[in-house]
Amino acid sequence: MNGGAPARGVAGPRHLPRYEAGMDFGAVLRETQGGRELPPPPAFAEPAADLAEGARRALYEVADPEFPISIVDLGLVRGVEADEETGAVTVHLTFTATACPCMDFIEWDVRQRLLEMDGIRHVEIVTGWDPPWTTAAISARGRKLLRSVGVVT
Amino acid sequence: MTESGFRSAEDLPEEASGHLANLILALADNKRLLGIRYSDWILGAPSVEAGIACSAMAQDEWGHARILYAMLRDFGHDPSALEHERASNEYHSSELLDRDVASWEEFLALNFLWDTALSVQFEMLVESRYEPIHYKVRKLLEEERFHFDHGQGWTSRLLSAEGGRTALAEAFGAAWNACLRGFGPDDDPLSGTLAMHGIVRRDAAGARARWLERVGPVAAETGLARDTESAWISTREPVWEDRWLARRRAAKGGPDEDSLARARGDRNRELLMD
Repeated sequence: MNGGAPARGVAGPRHLPRYEAGMDFGAVLRETQGGRELPPPPAFAEPAADLAEGARRALYEVADPEFPISIVDLGLVRGVEADEETGAVTVHLTFTATACPCMDFIEWDVRQRLLEMDGIRHVEIVTGWDPPWTTAAISARGRKLLRSVGVVT
Repeated sequence: MTESGFRSAEDLPEEASGHLANLILALADNKRLLGIRYSDWILGAPSVEAGIACSAMAQDEWGHARILYAMLRDFGHDPSALEHERASNEYHSSELLDRDVASWEEFLALNFLWDTALSVQFEMLVESRYEPIHYKVRKLLEEERFHFDHGQGWTSRLLSAEGGRTALAEAFGAAWNACLRGFGPDDDPLSGTLAMHGIVRRDAAGARARWLERVGPVAAETGLARDTESAWISTREPVWEDRWLARRRAAKGGPDEDSLARARGDRNRELLMD
């Protein structure tokens, strides 16, 4: 250690944008992955019955940072509760691994997406590990999408 | 005594709360330091595949450590202070992890013997009445299965070659006592109290027996364990001298300077941005 004050706002490798406080990591990641688009969410015949269901459907638009599949299809969303009066939403999430390096990205994206919705003012994320995530949690639609990019589950 | 669960540290019997926090801190410190030892071999393992496995195992251990440190908030501790601000003599990690290991055989003693000893301590928490940990350990153990497979696979490979067998026996022999006593003495009041309240499934003696059952078949090849009709036993008696009960490790020492700086993430925090 040389004792000098560390430089502020250290730039990453050339292909990555400069880090800034409050940066949308998910967007950075998607950009650096070549702007890969997430497939559209499933078509629902009926409008969402309530805020919780609406929020859950919106999470079909939140991508896993590694694969072009939504966190709902990947089986990471274990439940959504909403208080229509206060606009407080609780999302129960799990992750594929306890050391998943993308947890912060995913939580950030979940918050951003839900706060865009009318009637949602506060998002709480609760992480759970029981039962442990396995590939059995991936939806049929998710499996199909993963196969299309060469991942067999 | 009811069999209902303890939903938070507040609900725990007073005599058990401190012991459980101590156990969680010891497991967290061990996982953090073990992660460092795994990471040391990412580039030095005998094969590229083993190096990649070391990388994955290091990441697992750090994930587990982070979850465990965060759990201590429930006991009134500041997880960030525990992770980043402690001195070496405040660590509860095994003396096996105080400094880097010199050889692949010593590495395997950590990977197979000590990592399994930690997993056995998590097995004891699977049905814990302390619910916050109960709901996390299954995932941890699921990930640890591969660490056991890795240790076992490499150990078998070394045992099949004469030179490897001798070096491995020596490394296992050097780590054996620290592993045996890592669970605590048979009359250990810490695990005894936790077992009595259903917070851990078995006391120190029971956990050690379970560990011997898991590592025994391999350790027998190095003369350290023996199968009796009823159980796997150690061929050596544990030596308890110089053990610091409250820190679950050897009384002397702690992680060396380099290990401590890495465990605390000193360099990383110097580069933190607002």
